Amino acid sequence: MHQKIGWSRRRRGIGRYSAVALVVSFFVTIFPSFTASAQDKAAVLLPGSINDQSWNAQGYAGVLRLKEKGWDVAYSENVQPADMAQALQDYARKGYTLIIGHTGRFLSPMELVGPKFPKTTFIVGSGNAGAGKNVASIDFDNTQFGYLIGVLAARMSKTGKIGSVNGLEGLPNVVAQVGAYRKGAKSVNPNIQVKVIYVQDMEDAAGAKEAALSLIAWGADYVSGKLNAGQLGIIQAAKEKGVYANGRSVEDTAMAPDTVLTNIVEKWGDMYGAAADQSKAGALGGKFELYGLNSKDCTGAELLYTKEKELNPIVPQDIVDAIQAVKKKFASGELKVSVTKDDAHGGI
Amino acid sequence: MNYAVIIELLSASIRIATPLLLVALGGVISETGGTFAVGVEGMMLGGAFGGAVTVLVTQNILVGLLASMISGVLLAAIVAVATVRFRTDHMVTGLAVNILALGMTSFLLRGLFGGKTPVMVLPTIGTVRIPWLCNLPVAGPILFNEPLMTYLAFFLVIPVHLFLRRTRAGLTLRAVGENPSAAFSVGANPERIRAVAVMVCGAFAGLGGAVLSLQELGTFTDGMTNGRGFLALAAIIVGRWTPFRVMWGCLLIGAASALALNIQGWGLPMSSYVIQMTPYLIALAVLCGIGRKARMPAAIGKAFLRS
Repeated sequence: MHQKIGWSRRRRGIGRYSAVALVVSFFVTIFPSFTASAQDKAAVLLPGSINDQSWNAQGYAGVLRLKEKGWDVAYSENVQPADMAQALQDYARKGYTLIIGHTGRFLSPMELVGPKFPKTTFIVGSGNAGAGKNVASIDFDNTQFGYLIGVLAARMSKTGKIGSVNGLEGLPNVVAQVGAYRKGAKSVNPNIQVKVIYVQDMEDAAGAKEAALSLIAWGADYVSGKLNAGQLGIIQAAKEKGVYANGRSVEDTAMAPDTVLTNIVEKWGDMYGAAADQSKAGALGGKFELYGLNSKDCTGAELLYTKEKELNPIVPQDIVDAIQAVKKKFASGELKVSVTKDDAHGGI
Repeated sequence: MNYAVIIELLSASIRIATPLLLVALGGVISETGGTFAVGVEGMMLGGAFGGAVTVLVTQNILVGLLASMISGVLLAAIVAVATVRFRTDHMVTGLAVNILALGMTSFLLRGLFGGKTPVMVLPTIGTVRIPWLCNLPVAGPILFNEPLMTYLAFFLVIPVHLFLRRTRAGLTLRAVGENPSAAFSVGANPERIRAVAVMVCGAFAGLGGAVLSLQELGTFTDGMTNGRGFLALAAIIVGRWTPFRVMWGCLLIGAASALALNIQGWGLPMSSYVIQMTPYLIALAVLCGIGRKARMPAAIGKAFLRS
């Protein structure tokens, strides 16, 4: 009896090891990069589907970038706010050491889950605060790019009135971009009037168009904004009334090549790549990392009219030079802009 | 406020009211016949989508408008079959169609174009200046310098009113909505009449959607109707199921929305979130005021049983 048990135990043991060996050899042959080290597992959680050609597609660019960098990457699409905490825990339990949530809404679930999994680094894309030792937020420097657009708008304006249509008043990245837009414009022309309208829904293009039209009727000849699908409404209004606007992707240029002067194109692939490197080096946890023109690893965003060009060719050379000069000042750290909630207030 | 801003405020009210009015007129027809028009939001979105995709392929706006009506009718047909043939609950059926339309348009937008959302830059329905009249002070730039679908929407109020009040078919439709058994006893077919009314509503709602995609924006985005179908339903109640009063209801909502955008420029010490609520607060206040007097068609929401 005793003999028999011992024998069967030994046999089971051998069976287990050989199975593990088989699996390991399988992975070694098929996916050599996977076994590099246990630290290289990353997960990206997206609030929508990766083919939306917008926010989630940009997040998926992060998945691809991490793969290039040798991470073993998994991703989940359409993660609803109610499921975020659960999804984070699932990945953390499976031994993922880097988990990225591609919307600011991941901040609070990560604050909740983070302390339970100290070996995992959690990154909130477009978040606004770090927490504990292992929850970090990253974003592009909305202030710098809002400021640049403000300089451009004020320089291009002939009426001395410019506008901006936005959603989510008070959200930190909205405050940063809108407030800096106003400051940038005033830096060029202290008397310029900047009118900001907040709309209910960043996805409602028809509503955004009405807001833009009311700005144009007031006299604005440049309309900026930071919306999602609503951005198309701003551009359509500007196109109909013959004023200028900016978009958020080079596709927006295609909507109205004579109207759009440039786009603030966010580089989430680059940002997640840089953040992943930092987390590997153990230099990210608990921080709020802003990527801007003065960052080493990536600029966070870019002004792009087309994939090759920064600005619409109709922008006069002296204004192009002025924009470049401001960019240089940001890059060298000579110019630092800070924005308060009041800078981003609605109205004039 | 100067002249230009007031003109813009009033013409914005008319622009915002246009899609609502088309949808609401359809809703009046459906509800007069006794079927709650909860599904108009979905039919509207279907119309916006069908119109946009068709114009993308054919580059012909007339064909696009036709396609938007057909898309609206197809979604309405689901409501018609479910509520008339299978006597399902009108609210649940309507909401189901709204959810279906939201998912289906997003899916088809990607599915039809190989998994990638196409960048749609469509020709839009342009503004038509009516000669001579457009030079009138105030009224000229507001009333006679509008896009084609806006004229159509406001013109359609008259035939819909005449149809409901002055024709035999309109009388029968009202009878079916008030007392289908009585209508049946004098030879009308309540099931068929209700089904047709719902599908006509679908055509109107589809056109309302096309106003957004083909007149206002020249593109389609996911869920672009964004609750406008429900605002149209509110306008129907405000207007107590009569076309002219429904038109004023739509204009009221339009004016409130336009004002909400404008008020933000006045520098009031008030959060934009509070200002954004005003159109809905006004709609609620009006509904509360009118609520007692409102009398919906007596047999609305009740299935007709041949016994």
